[in-house]
Amino acid sequence: MRAGPSQEEIRRHNLGALLRHVHLSGPTSRAELTSRMGLNRSTIMALTADLTAAGLVREELPRETGRAGRPSLVVRPESARVYVFALDVGVDRLVAARVGLGGAVLDRRETVRRRGPFSLEEVVGPLAAFARQMHRRTRPDTVCVGVAAAFSGGVAQSDGVVRFGPNMGSVDVPFGEEMARRLALGLPVTVGNDANLAAMAEHLRGVGVGCRDLVYLHGDVGVGGGVIAGGALLGGHQGFGGEVGHMVVNPQGRLCGCGSRGCLEAEVGERALLEAAGRFGSQVGREAVRAVVSAADRGDIVAQAALSRVGDWLGLGVANLVNVFNPEMVVFGGMLREVYLGSAAQVRSRLNLDALSPSREHLRLRTTALGDDATLVGAAELAFAQVLADPLEVLARAGS
Amino acid sequence: MTPVLELRGIDKSFGPVQVLHDVAFSVYPGEVTALVGDNGAGKSTLVKCVGGIHPIDSGEYLFEGKPVQVGSPRDAAGLGIEIVYQDLALCDNLDIVQNMFLGREHKRGIVLDEDTMEEMAARTLESLSVRTVKSIRQHVSSLSGGQRQTVAIAKAVLWNSKVVILDEPTAALGVAQTAQVLELVRRLADQGLAVVLISHNMNDVFAVSDRIAALYLGRMAAQVKTSDVTHAQVVELITSGRSGDLGLTNGVPA
Ligand SMILES: Nc1ncnc2c1ncn2[C@@H]1O[C@H](COP(=O)(O)OP(=O)(O)OP(=O)(O)O)[C@@H](O)[C@H]1O
Ligand SMILES: [Mg+2]
Repeated sequence: MRAGPSQEEIRRHNLGALLRHVHLSGPTSRAELTSRMGLNRSTIMALTADLTAAGLVREELPRETGRAGRPSLVVRPESARVYVFALDVGVDRLVAARVGLGGAVLDRRETVRRRGPFSLEEVVGPLAAFARQMHRRTRPDTVCVGVAAAFSGGVAQSDGVVRFGPNMGSVDVPFGEEMARRLALGLPVTVGNDANLAAMAEHLRGVGVGCRDLVYLHGDVGVGGGVIAGGALLGGHQGFGGEVGHMVVNPQGRLCGCGSRGCLEAEVGERALLEAAGRFGSQVGREAVRAVVSAADRGDIVAQAALSRVGDWLGLGVANLVNVFNPEMVVFGGMLREVYLGSAAQVRSRLNLDALSPSREHLRLRTTALGDDATLVGAAELAFAQVLADPLEVLARAGS
Repeated sequence: MTPVLELRGIDKSFGPVQVLHDVAFSVYPGEVTALVGDNGAGKSTLVKCVGGIHPIDSGEYLFEGKPVQVGSPRDAAGLGIEIVYQDLALCDNLDIVQNMFLGREHKRGIVLDEDTMEEMAARTLESLSVRTVKSIRQHVSSLSGGQRQTVAIAKAVLWNSKVVILDEPTAALGVAQTAQVLELVRRLADQGLAVVLISHNMNDVFAVSDRIAALYLGRMAAQVKTSDVTHAQVVELITSGRSGDLGLTNGVPA
C-alpha cells in the first residue's frame, strides 16, 4: 500500500497554491484565501508567515476599509523583490523583460530581428545584453527566481532544444543551453513554443481566465497555436503538440514552409494574405497585414476578396479544431486578431456550416486580451513555474 | 434564459407614416445582440422607442420579465438602460470626467465631490481595460473618434446599467479604432451586460454578436443566433426580409 502524502509534501503544495493565488489574482485578503483555498484560518496564517519570512509575500492592511469592524490583512506578492527574466524570440523581434512576482513588467527591452538565415549568436547576443542591462539596474535585495523563453519554433520537452522553426530558418538549436551559459545567472533557461506559451498566458491572465478548455491560434509569419484541455496545455508525447498551423485544410493548396501542402499556415499565414491581396514583397509583417484590412474596410475589392478567402480557410481550420476539442473558447492572437476582425463574417459562416452544431452552440470566439505581449507573458509564467511549485526550496537556492 | 429587455408588437408612426410594424425584439444578459437592417429600416427609431425618446403607439415593453411604462429617457435610465446615440452627445469643452457625470451630478440626491467623480471615472475606464486615454482630465475635443466612443460607452457603464445600446459606434472609425471598440463591446457583454450593437458592417456583426435581429422595412424579419446563420442568409434577410425558412411571409415573421 502506498503511503499518503507526507506533512512536508502537503505543506509544500499549500505554499505553492497560496503563492500561485496571489501571483495570479493579486493582493488577496486572508479571509478570501481561507474561503477560496478551503483551508482554515490558522493554516492560512502559518503558510502566509512562511512565505513572508522567505520574502515572497507581504501582509498589509487594506487601503480602503469599506465595512466596519477589524479588516482582514491583505496578502500581496513581493513584486519589486522577486522576479524572473522572460525572453521572446519572434521572427521579427527579440524581447527581454524583467517581470515581478504577480506579473508586473518591471523593465523591458526590445529590438527588431532581421528576417533571413538563422544565427544563434544574433539571437542570444542581444537578449543576453538586455538581461545584463536590466540586471544591473536592480536593487541588491532583489532575487531572480527563473528564466524562460518563448521561441517561434518546435521545442522538444526533454532538452529544450528547438527542433524545427521553418519561419526562423532554424533546425536543432540548443537555444536554452546557450542562453543560460551567456546569461551566467546560475539558472537554467526553460524554452517553450511561443504560441503554446501565449495560449497559457491567455488562459492564466488574458481573455480565457476561468476557461479550462481553450484553443489559441497565433498568427505571426506562420500560424501557431496551443490547446488547453481541462486547464492543462496539451503538449503531446514530445512537446510538439498543438501545431494547429500545420493541420492540412487544403491538400491541393499552397506549399507550406514545412514541406507539406495546404497547411492552415500556408492558407491563412501572412504570405497567403499578402499574395492574395497582390501586395506580397513591398511590405511585410504586422503593418502589411493591417494595410490589407484597412484597404478592405475602405472598399478595395482585391483586399476584400483576399480577406474573404483567408477567412474561409480560417473558418474551416477552426471548425476542425472545434469538432476535435470542443473548446469553450477560441482565441485569435498575433496578426490573426486583425484577420479575424476583418473577415469574421466569412470565418463564422464557414464555422457554422462545418462545425458540429452542439460544439459551436456555446463556443465563444474572442480576440487576444494580451495582444502582442501574449508570448512574453507566457514566457514569464513558464519562468515562474518552479518557484510556484516549490517556493521555499527555489528561493533558498536563488538566494544562496 | 429570460430576456432582460423584451418588446412585443411595437407599432410606431410619425404622422401618417408608420415606421415600425408589430416589432418584437429581445436582448439577453451576457450577450451582444446585433440589430441590422438597411438604411431607413427603423433601427434608430426602435432604439429611441426603447430609450423613451419616442413614445410607442402600441405594444408591450417588458423589463426583466415585467411590463413597464417608459415615457422618457429618465424612465429608461432608471431601469438601467443606457443608449449611445448615432449622433453621440459628448460636450467638447468639458473633460472626460465631467462628460461622464454630465446630467447625473445629483443622482439620488447625493452631491458627488470632484475626487469621488474622478476616482469613479478612472475605475470604470480601468474595468473596461481602456488604456488609450492619457488623462481623464483631458478635454473631449482632443480625443480621437474611437476614444470618444470609448468615453461614451464608459459613461453608459458607469451607472451600473443592465442594457447598453450602441447605434453605429464604429461607423466613423478606422480599422484600428474599430477593433478596440468591438473588443470593448465584447468585454461589456462578458461582464454580464446585455449589449445591442447596430452596425452595417457584417464583419463587425459576426465578430462579436451572439444573436442577430434583422429589421426589414420596419418589420422584424428574424431574430437568430449568430451560430446558426451564414453571412449570405443575413444579407438576404436585410435586403429582402426572407432567407429560406427564415424571415417574413406576407409581412409576418415565420
Ligand atoms: N422623427 C421622425 N419623423 C418622421 N420620420 C422619421 C423620424 N425619424 C425617423 N423617421 C423615418 O423612419 C424611418 C426609419 O428611420 P431610422 O432612422 O429608424 O432608420 P435606421 O434603420 O436607423 O437607418 P440608418 O441605417 O440609415 O441609420 C425612415 O424612413 C425615417 O425617415
Ligand atoms: Mg440609424
